[in-house]
Amino acid sequence: MRANGDPGDTVAQFAAMACQAQLHVAGLEQAQARRAIDAAAAEVRRIEAKYSRYRADSVLSQINASAGSGAAVAVDQETAGLLDFAASLHAQSGGLFDITSGVLRRAWDFGAARLPAQAQIDALLPRVGWQRVRWDGPAAGGRRIELPLAGMELDFGGIGKEYAADRAAAVLHQAGVRHGFVNLGGDIRIVGPRPGGVPWALGIQHPRRDDATIASVQLGEGALATSGDYERYFEVPGEAGGQRYCHILDPRSGWPVRHWRSVSVVAPLCLAAGALTTIAMLLQDAALDFLRSQNVAFLAVDAAGSIVHEGL
Amino acid sequence: MAATDPRIPPASAAAERRRAGGVLLAALALPGLATPAAHADLAPGHSFVEFKQLHYQDAQSGLRRIHVDAPSLYVLTPLGANWSLAGSAVLDIVSGATPRYYTSVSGASRMFDRRIGEDATVTYYRPRSEFSFSASHSKEDDYESYGVSGDARFSTEDNNTTFNLGAGASIDTIKPVNHIVDTAHKHTFDFIAGVTQALSPDDIAQVQYGYSFGHGYFNDPYKLFDNRPAKRDQGAFTVRWNHQFERWGSTLRTNYRYYFDTYHIHAHTLQLEWVQPLGQAVSISPSLTYYTQRAANFYFDPPNGNQDRFPAIPPNSYSSLDQRLAAFGGITAGGRIDWDISHHWSTDLKGEYHEERPAWRLIGQGSPALYPFRYVAIEFGLSYRF
Repeated sequence: MRANGDPGDTVAQFAAMACQAQLHVAGLEQAQARRAIDAAAAEVRRIEAKYSRYRADSVLSQINASAGSGAAVAVDQETAGLLDFAASLHAQSGGLFDITSGVLRRAWDFGAARLPAQAQIDALLPRVGWQRVRWDGPAAGGRRIELPLAGMELDFGGIGKEYAADRAAAVLHQAGVRHGFVNLGGDIRIVGPRPGGVPWALGIQHPRRDDATIASVQLGEGALATSGDYERYFEVPGEAGGQRYCHILDPRSGWPVRHWRSVSVVAPLCLAAGALTTIAMLLQDAALDFLRSQNVAFLAVDAAGSIVHEGL
Repeated sequence: MAATDPRIPPASAAAERRRAGGVLLAALALPGLATPAAHADLAPGHSFVEFKQLHYQDAQSGLRRIHVDAPSLYVLTPLGANWSLAGSAVLDIVSGATPRYYTSVSGASRMFDRRIGEDATVTYYRPRSEFSFSASHSKEDDYESYGVSGDARFSTEDNNTTFNLGAGASIDTIKPVNHIVDTAHKHTFDFIAGVTQALSPDDIAQVQYGYSFGHGYFNDPYKLFDNRPAKRDQGAFTVRWNHQFERWGSTLRTNYRYYFDTYHIHAHTLQLEWVQPLGQAVSISPSLTYYTQRAANFYFDPPNGNQDRFPAIPPNSYSSLDQRLAAFGGITAGGRIDWDISHHWSTDLKGEYHEERPAWRLIGQGSPALYPFRYVAIEFGLSYRF
């Protein structure tokens, strides 16, 4: 996604959370803008370190390492909030949004572009399912989580980057920023409109052409997030141009979803927008009714390339 | 600013209708995310123009009396990131019969008047605070009023609590066409202080106290035997509570107001309003208000319940036969429909039926021998946001 800006705006770009991060600040002296950006970038890195699956000392790695041990892991308040949120998404999506489904990546190697054997997927499916997790959350008076089966693992894909975007925006706001936005690999949270109250013009990535946008959205507040079948995928040649296998996997079957090329959602929080795009991808043909029930503006591109949008 | 009519800052009706879905509500439960967008500290991001047309007709003793047609225009525009400028103008065209004393028909005099009012407000927005200054002017044939006021609002770090303070002054000049006095003035100073507190994601409460000091000419020059004290202080204490019902997406708005003044009028108002969204763009809001007041200590009842006879008023004593200073109760049933036609356009239609009767007073007896008073008001609004 791209956004407009003015000369004189302070912009920082860096790699974080396996994507390109951009912090855009307007209406402040450069020195103050830099201080705000440094604080926000530090917040993004803090969250990345805390929830990265690739770091042995991360909170998620500790939980995953204890899977099947019979021991529950105590978590801090921030992690408990995110786990509660994930539990709520699991319930609201009828079990489709599932932070235990990352284990299916062992069968799906998108780099190798190779279809897994059904037996591989079948072997992993018993380890997928939030309903199997023993989560004694704040609502139940505790903060302890236990993954009952060895090999189960949690993955904050679909909420971690979005949470970081919201937190970075909050840090910018605390540092005095009133005009600007945070863009973490296309998950955008607005801090405030451009000076003068003019909204930012944000582009939505074309799901089939890297160099094009498919729509422009004017946002002065809130967040915009997009999920698509173009982020990590491979194609198997065949009839009708072949079949695309994307990284969004249905936790019931273990196979990728096919209905939408991409779904974009505008919501007050990036965390909500991002979760809604992922749930919409997973719900496939039931996505639009769900998005309408959530009272959000959205734009979806179906498998044939047709655009459906409401409120945008 | 008016000390006697404090209001909860109007949450955008459209925003209220766009109810948060379950996923957003779950996300909002996480701390430290919502601060920047949920509470815009800075100037409004859009300009706003609104036209309203009010039609009012009251009636008593089976006769139509005052009739008002009032078109008004309101404009709000941001000026840079930290300032906004708002202005409004209203034209009231009033005609009809106003009773000279009590509610009697025989003494009614015909009247026609035109009032032009205009005001402007400039507001400066800071993070977690805002400051505004307003000036207003209103003129009709025999009456002219100038007012200024300043208001400030402060929010706590978590934006759950907002304090407001305000002060205002006005000077009114009365030149009655009957020359009962030549030129008379009335001066008013008013103050207001309040706290608004978010009690839960679904509940918001507000407490406001306003007090005004007035001195000067308070008589109604067109009423017989109207001789009121030249000093009138008024106080009002208001408690509001709004609750949202997640299940239906509706909002219940309640408020109670206790009013008192140095004329010894004490009044209680209880108001209930139910805001019910119907789909994304439309909401309907029925409301019911009950009002009850005690009479001013210089209000004279008609002798033996006969409005055609004058009461015996001791010389040099204060007196009024104005039924607005009598003891009575009133009920208002109203409703409004709001429709967001598009991102830019919205419209609303309000209707109100009001009736007051002495017998409806809640505490103590109502004033005897007054006829029921009724009015109907209908207001149409159309606004454009850009």
